[in-house]
Amino acid sequence: MGESDLNFVSGRSKPITVGIVGPESSGKTTVLGALYLLLGRGNLTPDESQFSNSYTLAGWEAVANCLRWKPGQAPHFPPHTPSRAARAPGMLHLAFRRNDGSLRDLLFADAPGEWFQKWAVNQNAADAEGARWIARHADVTLLIADRQALAGPKMGTARNEFQLLAQRAVTEAQGRRLALVWTKGDVEVAPAMEAQIRKAVGSVDFSVPEFTVSVFKRDEVDAALGFQKLFSWILETKRPGVQLPTSEVAGHDPLFRFGRR
Amino acid sequence: MSAQHSILLVGESNVGKTHYGAQFLKRLMVEACALKRNGAATNLEAFTTALGCLADGKATNHTPVSTYVESIWPIKDDAGRTAELVWPDYGGEQVRNLVTQRRIPAPWRERVLEATDWVVLLRLHSLRAEDDLFSRPLQSFANAETKEITEFQPSDQARTIELLQMLLYLAQFNLDRKLRKPRLTVLLSCWDELETSELPENLLAATLPMFWAFIRSNWESPTVMGLSALGKALSMTESDPDYAIRGPEEFGYVILPHGKKDNDITLPIQWLMSTWA
Repeated sequence: MGESDLNFVSGRSKPITVGIVGPESSGKTTVLGALYLLLGRGNLTPDESQFSNSYTLAGWEAVANCLRWKPGQAPHFPPHTPSRAARAPGMLHLAFRRNDGSLRDLLFADAPGEWFQKWAVNQNAADAEGARWIARHADVTLLIADRQALAGPKMGTARNEFQLLAQRAVTEAQGRRLALVWTKGDVEVAPAMEAQIRKAVGSVDFSVPEFTVSVFKRDEVDAALGFQKLFSWILETKRPGVQLPTSEVAGHDPLFRFGRR
Repeated sequence: MSAQHSILLVGESNVGKTHYGAQFLKRLMVEACALKRNGAATNLEAFTTALGCLADGKATNHTPVSTYVESIWPIKDDAGRTAELVWPDYGGEQVRNLVTQRRIPAPWRERVLEATDWVVLLRLHSLRAEDDLFSRPLQSFANAETKEITEFQPSDQARTIELLQMLLYLAQFNLDRKLRKPRLTVLLSCWDELETSELPENLLAATLPMFWAFIRSNWESPTVMGLSALGKALSMTESDPDYAIRGPEEFGYVILPHGKKDNDITLPIQWLMSTWA
């Protein structure tokens, strides 16, 4: 789903946009794939929020496909998300129906890591338009800290990159929701490094929610748990402001009922 | 003047649409069911082969891909409500093509718009449940060669949801509120091969959780029933002596939502009729 299709979703009521911010191969797409797999297993959300529909089922399937077992093929990480000259990231949509019968639309922005790396260095970088788009529109920002990179041979570079990116993301979030998500949670990271990362997102002054996710089981903790916690936090997001009036218009296409605000 | 109720019978190939139609018709003919004939059916061509095969205790052939015939059956129930059932028979590939090609042929568009009730046939036995990282964890990604995969098959669950989403869009329903119309009935066909004593609803929820969430969150009161149109597996070549002697109308059953088994396979439709009005 691209920028022009967004009108279609946002006509109903403004969806909640979730931006996933992190460097290359830090596991952004894997997080999305894992969320979708859990949804498919009926394990993602509690009964109060039931899956209602998705305009991008094929997109979700593509993302989650690599994480499934195939005859003669074990799951593997999703391939690198290519960066093209696009100005807005690819979007994945999910809608949930809550107990009161209303729908909650979520849009997940899956952007290539290069965009963020360039954006971290230069906010106005020519090829970071997509990253700026996310920063401008995201109601929820998930800042990805890649534990494998932070424990690997190039951990210094990884830390440095994260600090730059975190600084940029936290400034841009301007009070909107932001969470620190540790990916590849099965990898051990030096406590001093963890402290540095927390410092970078400003956890010292105010508390930033933290989630640890991994597609592997950790010490008998089910791998699904981390993703479930993360997702219920995302679902809690409330959009301040206008309640859309319900209308009795017969037209079926929400786009023609409410303008996009 | 009786109301015309057109049933949109949705099912991919090999779920047993033709068998159900033929058995339904046979029940109407011998009047061994809750619904009664209210005049003669218009055109039985589509089901003559199936009726013939079943009378001998054989399974019928696959319905050709391009076939689409509708047959109109005037019926009435015990309360005197009358209706005209529009019962379609078609090659199930048409349904799969809707999703894979993302193109809706014009005739299908009209059918969807005219339909008052949707009956979805699912054969759980033939749906794949794929293992993924959560059901069967990996120890590590042993230097996975990242093969460029350009083509993949969407999961059966996603395809089924996508199909209903497309039909909803086509029929111009929006999901702002839960739907009362069209009424939705999910029939889990070939129930006999599942060999289970679960309630149909629970079985569906366990097998296709996301699909179950989808229909529960978007329909006011979806109905899930089990259906075994034939009662047992029949071969296409060997005839079944029981069938030949006792007649196909003696076979087949439905599992009602609360788990009761009933030999009257017209009950899903009668159930729909009783809530029409």
